[in-house]
Parts: sequence; C-alpha cells; structure tokens
Amino acid sequence: MKIVTKAENLDNHKKYIFILQLIDDFLQKKDYQKIDLPVLSPALIPESYLEVFETEFKFLDKKEKLYLTPSPELFLKRLLAYKIGNCYYLGKSFRNSDPPSSLHSFEFTMLEFYKTGVNYMEIADEVLELLNYIKYQISKIKNTNQKSNIFENQKISFNKWEKISVAEAFEKYAGIFEKELFDHQLFLQKARKKGYQVDKFSYEDIWSQIYVQEIEPHLGKNGYPTLIYDYPKEFAALAKLNSDGQTAQRFEFYINGVELGDCYTELSDWKEQKDRFIKEYLERKQNKKINHPIDKGFIKALKYGFPESAGIAIGVERLAAVFLNLNSINELKVINIE
Amino acid sequence: MRINAGNLKKGDFIHYQNEIWQVQKAEFYSPGKGSALMKTKLWNVKSGKNIDVTFKSVEEVEVVDVESRLMTFLYKDNENLYFMDEKTFNQYPVLLSSVSGLEKYLKEGDKLYVYLYDERPLSVRAPLSVRLKVVEAEEAVKGDTVSGAKKPVKLETGAVIMAPLFIKVGDVVIVNPETGEYTGREGK
Repeated sequence: MKIVTKAENLDNHKKYIFILQLIDDFLQKKDYQKIDLPVLSPALIPESYLEVFETEFKFLDKKEKLYLTPSPELFLKRLLAYKIGNCYYLGKSFRNSDPPSSLHSFEFTMLEFYKTGVNYMEIADEVLELLNYIKYQISKIKNTNQKSNIFENQKISFNKWEKISVAEAFEKYAGIFEKELFDHQLFLQKARKKGYQVDKFSYEDIWSQIYVQEIEPHLGKNGYPTLIYDYPKEFAALAKLNSDGQTAQRFEFYINGVELGDCYTELSDWKEQKDRFIKEYLERKQNKKINHPIDKGFIKALKYGFPESAGIAIGVERLAAVFLNLNSINELKVINIE
Repeated sequence: MRINAGNLKKGDFIHYQNEIWQVQKAEFYSPGKGSALMKTKLWNVKSGKNIDVTFKSVEEVEVVDVESRLMTFLYKDNENLYFMDEKTFNQYPVLLSSVSGLEKYLKEGDKLYVYLYDERPLSVRAPLSVRLKVVEAEEAVKGDTVSGAKKPVKLETGAVIMAPLFIKVGDVVIVNPETGEYTGREGK
C-alpha cells in the first residue's frame, strides 16, 4: 500500500465536507447530542464475520491489546442505558476485511444515530428527512463555476421510500417463496436447484450470496431509495425480533443498488443479547477471526435498563458519492491509502 | 484447473454453466454475515454477452487455459470472420456473434489476437483503437462553431461514426472499436 495525494479531488472533497456539516446541522437542529468517542477499545461486540484491526499499547513492561472499533455502537448504547437520550457519532470506523474498492475502504466515515422511544420505521422517516435536507441545501448553493451540479443528473426523489420486505424481495426477484426463505433445508434445496454450490456452505453463506447476486442489483432503482426490511433472525445482529419469531426489526436502505445504511430496533433484552454474543463469539473462533475480548460492560449496561430505541449506521462517503454523482468513494479523497 | 473464486482475476477464462467466460472484473465483498464473496463481471466468449455473477470466495471454479494467438484477418461472410495463423497458415473461423460489432472496424490484413481453446477459436480480443480512413463526410458549414458538435462520417470499412465537424474525406480517424466512438485524428 502507498499514500496517494489527489489534490485534483479538492473540489469533490469540499462538497463532501459540506455534506458532513449538513448532517451535523440536521441532527443538532433535531436535538440529537453529538458525541465524540474513542476509536481504540480493549473489548468489542463480537460479530462473527467481521474482522477487526488489532494493535497494542506499550508502556515500560506493560502491554495491552487494543482494537480499532468497527462501529461506535458499543459506546453509544452504553450511553443510552445511562439515559442520555437521542445521540449520534459522526467519525471514523474500521473494518479489516476486503481490499479497498470503489465502495469500500477499511477505514471509513460512519454516521450512527439513535433515537429513544421509537422503532426502526420511525428512524426511516428521519433518514428520508435527512436526505431531503441534504439535497435541498446542496441545491441552494448552486455555483455557476461548477460544471455539473450536484444532483442534477440524479433522477431520484426522496419524497418517499420504495418499501419492500426481504420476503417479498426474494419472491419477486429470486423466485424464492417465504416458506423456503426461512426454512434452512428448503432454502438450501431451492438454491441448489437454482444452480448454486451448496455443499459445505451454511444457510448464511448461501443466503448472502443470493441476496448479493439476485436482490441487491434491483434496489433503489425505481426513482426512489429502497428500504428493504425484516431480515431473517440469523441476520438480526443486535436487533429486536418481530412477533413472528423468524424475522428481526431491521432494514437496510439502497440507492442505485448500493447499500447506504443499516438500521434496527435495538434489542433491549440482556439475556438474549448475552446468548447471541456467545454464539457470535464461538462463530468467530470457528472462522479463525482475531480473538478479541467481549465487551461485558455492554451487557451490564443493558441490564441496568436500556430504553426502547432504534438506531442507524450510514456510510457517509457512499452517501456523499451518491449526492455528488461519483462512481467511487475514492473521488472524494485528497489523501488516500491505496 | 480448479481454483477458489477468491483467486480469480481480470483476464482469467472460466467454465461457468457449460460455457466459457472471461473475467472482466473481480471484487471482494464481505456481506454482513456469511462467508466473503467475489463479485465478478463475466464476458461470454461466444455470445459477447456480459453478466454479473457473485461467487463465494472459497467456492471452486474451473479455470480454462485459453491461448491468445496473433493472427491476420482475411475476410468475413454472413456467419464468420476468418483469420489466418501466419506461422502455420491454418485458417480459423470466428463466429460473428462473438465479436459484438467489432467486424465493422476491421480491414483485411489487420492483425488481432484470437482466443483459442483446444485449438478451437472462441473470439477475438478487441484492440483498444483502430485507425481508419474517412471515405464520406459532409463539408463543414462555415460559422458552425458550436464546440462539441458532431456529424456522421463513413469509414473505409463501411462503418458510420459520429466525428467532429472538422473531419474531412481522406482523414485517418482513431476509433474505439468496442464503442464506435471517435477518439482522435491521426496527425499528418
């Protein structure tokens, strides 16, 4: 890898910085408290497939392992348990997985915000308002010096969501019916019939493959952003389950086939969270991921009394690339590690 | 040879659904859950069709040894383009359907790389640019100076492309044969 200076991207970068400001403006006007947080932590939330960066603190003969946070979730949710109310983080997060690409970087800017007393669909309303706010403010600063203006070529409206449930999407785009979608055995049978290599792979492996191959390319392409909701419980992460017992209150949103955000109604049941943590921890071990300590304080915080709330994580570079009509997040950067 | 899809790279040829494809793009992608994926764009060497295929990165795919050999373009008929290997003088027909319009920009004697699998010709590697003489072009009207304005011109192979107004009969233009776009004029 090397450090690449791209001064020619300064114009895009300025607009990106402006979008960051707009996000702050919007949330602060709505009384969300901005929180600055550490990016190095001695413990993390265990997530089975997500690899992290590991480093070490050294002082004289003292040594301690630290990990770059893949999301601010563990910190913000502790604070929610202390009843600080609506809050957000806008800053760096780190994920040690794929090589950098047009949509992915191992270090990226994340907006994560939480609102208390609401569920995931109410966060969706807030997000739509945020998108409209950014679009409106950008259109106001139309500058005659700028050749192609932000958003001019985008034929997308933020007046409403195109909402589709995961089950509806699998039926519509992949011909997989609800009965098959949630039953592991039926699902794998169906996938084999469709020509996927199924042997030795898990439900989650094949599900994700079909989702990426057959569902994602259709999302956010009908003139509105798409909100795809109610994921199978296997993909619940830290989300609350629906009363059907098989889906979680979680949505992702897409524009032009690109995933921009991931939202859920927060799981507040500490016992269930603890069970999920243990399961994820064991899966991490099995997947030979870095063996970081589990953040036990997080479970304690939940025990202490976690308010009903929902939160969303949004990839800000991707979002800015959509607004600026760029094909790659790298076009926003004046210094890039490639 | 079977390899993990995670090791695929641009330019590789693979067997997929009983056909041969060339990898145009290969990007890693880790979904939130489930093993890492390899998102690829594949180009069908026979039909010239492009498709997007997502493999699991640890899934095995069959890589095929496709040879690319420099040959001379001889002529075409309604079905094929005919090429000759200059070393052996063997002739190879390549299906027109596999070259997606490239034939419009080929002249007799052009040298191109032909893809062969087991000595069977599959397709042709499109050159980045071709140089062709303009045989028909309207005179530019004086005063018509809108920058970026274009007009149709006919090339020596019969293809018609859009070129800037200053292009005249006898000019040699540089064209991207994959898109049919004018990219420049050869200096005199």
